[in-house]
Amino acid sequence: MTGAQTQPGPLAGLRVLELADEKGQFCGKLLGDLGADVVKIEPPGGEATRRVGPFLEDVPHQDRSLSFWHYNTSKRGVTLNLRVGDGRQLFRRLAETADVILETFPPNHLASLDLSYQALSAQNPRLIMCSLTPFGQTGPWRDYQSSDLLHMAAGGQMASCGYDEVDVAGAPPIAPGGGNAWHMGGHFGCIAIMAALVHRTVTGEGQYIDASIHDACALTTEAAIANYIYRGETLVRQTGRHHAPAPTPRTQFRSKDGSYVTALVAGRLTPKYVKDLAALFDSHRMPHDLHDPKYADPATIAASTSHIINHLVAGFIATLPAEEVYHAAQARGFTWGAVRAPEQLLEDAHLGDRGFWKQVEHPELGRSFTYPGEAAIYNGSPWRISRRAPLLGEHNVEIFCGELGLSRAELSVLAEGSAV
Amino acid sequence: MSRRRALDGVRVVDFSWVRAGPWATRWLGALGAEVIKIEWPENERGRLPSTTTPQGLEVNLNTSGNFNDTNVNKKSLCLNVRSAMGLKIAKRLIAISDIVIENFSSRVLQAWGLGYAELCQIKPDIVYVSMSGYGHSGRNHGYMTFGPIAQAVSGLTFISGLPDKPPAGWGWSYMDDTGGMYGAMCALIGLYHRNMTGNGQHIDQAQMISGVPLNGPALLDYTVNGRGTRRAGYPPGNRAHWPGTPLVSNHRGLTSAPHNAYRTHPGDYNDWCVIVCQNDAEWQRLVDLMGAPSWATAPRLATLGGRLQFQEELDKHIEAWSMTLGKYQLSELCQAAGVRALPLQSAEDRVEKDPQLRHREMYTPIDHPVLGSRKVQNAPFKLSRTPANNHLPSPLIGQHTRELVEGLLGYTVEELRTGFADGTFWPSNRPRLPYLDEMLK
Repeated sequence: MTGAQTQPGPLAGLRVLELADEKGQFCGKLLGDLGADVVKIEPPGGEATRRVGPFLEDVPHQDRSLSFWHYNTSKRGVTLNLRVGDGRQLFRRLAETADVILETFPPNHLASLDLSYQALSAQNPRLIMCSLTPFGQTGPWRDYQSSDLLHMAAGGQMASCGYDEVDVAGAPPIAPGGGNAWHMGGHFGCIAIMAALVHRTVTGEGQYIDASIHDACALTTEAAIANYIYRGETLVRQTGRHHAPAPTPRTQFRSKDGSYVTALVAGRLTPKYVKDLAALFDSHRMPHDLHDPKYADPATIAASTSHIINHLVAGFIATLPAEEVYHAAQARGFTWGAVRAPEQLLEDAHLGDRGFWKQVEHPELGRSFTYPGEAAIYNGSPWRISRRAPLLGEHNVEIFCGELGLSRAELSVLAEGSAV
Repeated sequence: MSRRRALDGVRVVDFSWVRAGPWATRWLGALGAEVIKIEWPENERGRLPSTTTPQGLEVNLNTSGNFNDTNVNKKSLCLNVRSAMGLKIAKRLIAISDIVIENFSSRVLQAWGLGYAELCQIKPDIVYVSMSGYGHSGRNHGYMTFGPIAQAVSGLTFISGLPDKPPAGWGWSYMDDTGGMYGAMCALIGLYHRNMTGNGQHIDQAQMISGVPLNGPALLDYTVNGRGTRRAGYPPGNRAHWPGTPLVSNHRGLTSAPHNAYRTHPGDYNDWCVIVCQNDAEWQRLVDLMGAPSWATAPRLATLGGRLQFQEELDKHIEAWSMTLGKYQLSELCQAAGVRALPLQSAEDRVEKDPQLRHREMYTPIDHPVLGSRKVQNAPFKLSRTPANNHLPSPLIGQHTRELVEGLLGYTVEELRTGFADGTFWPSNRPRLPYLDEMLK
């Protein structure tokens, strides 16, 4: 490996204990990929997220969930039963070694086990503990059940996503897939933890963080809140483009290969833009009328918006594959992009140039698989996947015996008592 | 009482504009950093164009509501960085700062003479966060993005919508919001690393690329199992699975039914709730709540397999019931019975009706000199020792120029006046705003 690959990540030396299901595993992955030693603590039967598909070769198994694989890279894993006294005692010992505890239990669950922040920080005042939960630790919805779809509804995402009536009559509001409510919560959770860590570098003090996924989602709708607060506006949902107080021109056009291109044209139609469009169309020998001198006049352009967008731009895109439109347009300075299915990203040459895709070894399978890599390149301390997700209980011996000093015989007794 | 904040003593030079960068630095400000926003009225993007200026106010540099919400907790230094004097002042500021952050295209700061190498000469341990569309390396580094393009190209648009329809995509710039999250994270991580090691670094964050790992399970389904998402029944609308198509995970958690949005009384545009039953027990609770009608007690719906198979019928019946209740009433009844349900909420709903967001004090007013007292959005996390809070309204353009140039950097008032006259602090041919004239007295 080269020097850059062996440099420690920016969070090297930090120990994080993660007790998290789908609500917090992404936050833990971010910290782990950034170099922290993240120890995932699971109940003896395994975290529920091990049961989320799809699975390797469609064979369901606790160690074969691809969703679990993705969200639990760069972590080590132990099992621990917090419902029995010996399990709690081991957890307390681990907590004494921890910089950060990330947990997603229902409010008060850890306190009911005598494992509250107050109790744990008494032994370790530098401890930072983040509870990342659906609604936070307080409030009338505190104990409500949630899911990704529920958060996208109440958080405001669905109110903004959907279809033009001409595309899908009577369409429902749409929640984008992929579990993005958990991403929204995870991003803010990571910010809060990092802020507390920076504070600790100066003062040595730990603290407790009460983070709410609902609050995080409610913050993630760009200007929707401002549209209401400053103008009292309710927004309509539109196909493949921004919500708006009143309908706006299309930005998503079907390409020759049955895919789509997002082309941001409306609101940008200056005489120069029209000239650039003409050059783009000419370069592909598409007939058009944009060389007509009348388009030097902004008023004529404004009156021709529908013609330019719905006939010319739409017609141009319809004659070419989406990727070709994307690169041809970007090369000429247009803010346009191909609407890609996720798997098409594997062919993206730019991502290849950036070394984005990572081969992650699964030694127990004798294989390695391609994973998506980092959102940012750190030139002094790399963001890097350090290992595949842990198998269930994979590091019990390494951590309980190797680090906490239990003998293997003691560990066996604890396992008999269902503590691990 | 002195309120300590996590980033007390941290200074950020903020060249960012539009949305993603300013959304990042807003949180650094809420966490206590002194965020100095460097801007120039002739090529400003973020204040204008404004579609959120209140009715009755003139649309100008100081009346955008969205700018206000996106730029609380900052000071504004109006500075022509393309002038020799402006560049010199920027460098003096960087020399006494911890973080430089910007979200221009990939070569802009280099062209100004403020690339990472130059920044290091000015401040060896600087944390430099660049937030460009495609990053500073790679063949497409010069490509242009806004949120919708980053979403399209990264695969995020495709995963939203109904099967056999165009993508519904995201009705806002999700990747501006999310790019902002990564910008803030990168700044904090760089700062943490600097405090621990003494070393700064360049963090090259890319908006489009930040969206790609958000499709992780779909990507692994392809790289591991060879199964792509261009297939029948994908994306499955609000459902976990589209009936009549092959049964397969669609990457939205546990595959279950019911899992959908349903209309509620009185049936207006935003009268919807979502209901999800993740297992048979939750379904039985919903059956009981609905009064155990005969359609719902049919044995074929008692199992997950049956509910997935007969989802159309299931959803039609549930909606007939949900239409009899208001969305808040329905959600409360469901949650009280142990059934997962929440209302679809518009922005107005969130600000005015959501009891949880009210309890969490997510929208509290702050006084702005032109816009008046307006609610702004607060942090979704509560730090017990160092709470994040909004302590400054968004700055008027150039509002803090004197405070920073004279007070922080030690220039004289005469030098300030000269800079105003020669186009360093305000374009010489542009009428000065009254508070800028006031500043020079």
